[in-house]
Amino acid sequence: MAQFYPLTVTDIRRDTREAVVVTLAPPVDAAEAFRFIQGQYLTFRRCFDGEDLRRSYSICAGVDDGVLRVGVKRVDGGWFSTFMNEELKVGDTLDSMAPMGNFHAPLAPERTRRYLGFAGGSGITPMISLIRTIMAREPKSSFTLVYGNRSTSAIIFREELEDLKNLHLGRLNIVHILESEAGEIELFSGRLDREKCEALFSRWIDVKAADLAFICGPEPMMLAVADALKSHGLPETAIKFELFSSPRAGRAKPKAGGAAGAYSGAATATIVLDGAARDIPIAAGQSVLDAALAAAIDAPYACKAGVCSTCRGKLVEGEVEMEANYALEDYEVERGYILTCQSHPRTAKIIVDYDQ
Amino acid sequence: MNDDSDIFDYLARGGKLSAPGNTPPRYRAELLRLMASFVDSELAGAAGFADCINLGPGVKERIAAARIVLEKLDHAERVLKIMGDFGANVTRYQNLHPWAARIARHDDIGLKRQAGDMRLNVFHYPIAGWTDAVVLNVLMGTATVIQLGDFAVMSYQPLAETFRAILPREQRHAELGQEGLNAAGARGSAAQKEISDSVDYWFPKVAATFGAAASPRTELLRRFGIRRRPNADMLDEWRGRVSAALGSCLRGWNGRA
Repeated sequence: MAQFYPLTVTDIRRDTREAVVVTLAPPVDAAEAFRFIQGQYLTFRRCFDGEDLRRSYSICAGVDDGVLRVGVKRVDGGWFSTFMNEELKVGDTLDSMAPMGNFHAPLAPERTRRYLGFAGGSGITPMISLIRTIMAREPKSSFTLVYGNRSTSAIIFREELEDLKNLHLGRLNIVHILESEAGEIELFSGRLDREKCEALFSRWIDVKAADLAFICGPEPMMLAVADALKSHGLPETAIKFELFSSPRAGRAKPKAGGAAGAYSGAATATIVLDGAARDIPIAAGQSVLDAALAAAIDAPYACKAGVCSTCRGKLVEGEVEMEANYALEDYEVERGYILTCQSHPRTAKIIVDYDQ
Repeated sequence: MNDDSDIFDYLARGGKLSAPGNTPPRYRAELLRLMASFVDSELAGAAGFADCINLGPGVKERIAAARIVLEKLDHAERVLKIMGDFGANVTRYQNLHPWAARIARHDDIGLKRQAGDMRLNVFHYPIAGWTDAVVLNVLMGTATVIQLGDFAVMSYQPLAETFRAILPREQRHAELGQEGLNAAGARGSAAQKEISDSVDYWFPKVAATFGAAASPRTELLRRFGIRRRPNADMLDEWRGRVSAALGSCLRGWNGRA
């Protein structure tokens, strides 16, 4: 089960009108757990109006910087990012899981590699970690960053990037692409889309000479950049993606299940899978999964022992009892998720959705 | 319906994911299912092969067999770690099923999965002696290399990278099988008969691991970017490769239907 540690906020710096950089200190006895790999993220937990919300934010520090910090851009209507931007104070504590994530390539200090990085908006945060680490740990390697934003005032880490560029002249190149500002050079204004990439790759950036590319931003931008890189000869295996949006970020619904008495009889279940709903009978003692499989519904499962979480579904209506649960976190159970292989109805009618 | 259509569109257009938190539920379920099938197959394969180490005719063969067992367990552990990122209980999972258990040699369980044990069905059948183990290793080793090759470019990047790291070692396992097969084939007509019988036994069971020519699940996996090549395409490649392997050591080999 996931473990959370209380991190102390030691600094908050406003970087743009809509983004803050928060520096955090782990408890002394958990320092080792918070050693991170460049490009990883932290997952925070906080209770809003009685609901447990979690959000992940990329670490924006190099592995040798001796500091743990995250960049948080306020999202319209986003509880967590608004809280981080407006309410969080130095001295507060934030519950965080140990660093996770795979947006990196193993470092090779002796090699001379050419990296490309493409960031859209707050997709810059893991890039900062990658750039700082690569500059320090791979002294012969170079990094070209293409960074798209709406306007100059929206550029997170603008000054820090400028300083880094000056510190690593010739090794770190930065290309800003600004949407709403028509600069002197047309190449550097507009959106970071396929067309823009084509223009950059034919006149400014030598994709064929690159060893690895990192892309972090919204989906359309990532696809456009990846397609352009591939068409200019970069192998697919040399492109690393990090999607920064968290699609299941809505507010939690009230908890399903409760203190009703045990229900021992047969039930009817509506099973939603791949957008189709079907009503099926569940015999007394039968699990929701077995009933679905018996009705020839191709429901996902693997271990059938409550261990692997493949058969997870959301209980939309009614109540169930789970025999065993070794896979779901408490907060998932709070939100109504069940392991269908372990679940037996406690009400005559239930609705289970595998698509949520 | 769900609100994941943007992500599905992104995946269908070649987008990649790198963190469990970004995977939609149906994607996550299919990915876990695939990982469970791989882990169970490696654990069951290693458990079955472990019993064959001492059947090797010489120390060299026993070292090769021991190495295959060791590395298959290592591969299972690597993929299990990724299942752990998704919330699977890794410690409990390792002993979830009796991995060394086998059905009787001439039972036929068809294509249906056995309860929660997700190993490919070929790993439910028992190995009968060293030559039999070598034949299975050539046939299944070649199949694994082809199947992993397809997974190695899948849309969940951490798993794709793990499979890319595993692939050359699985390739080596198949090559060790080929070396063993060539040695066995040179031992005279009795050995030739033994190989031929083993091929008859294992060929259809390994061919079945490629799945039906067309299935809704394969189509779903393709849209998710988890799979690319059609089953029939990979099966054809396998037939070609094992035919070449068997043709070089089995006199009178003329292929199998």
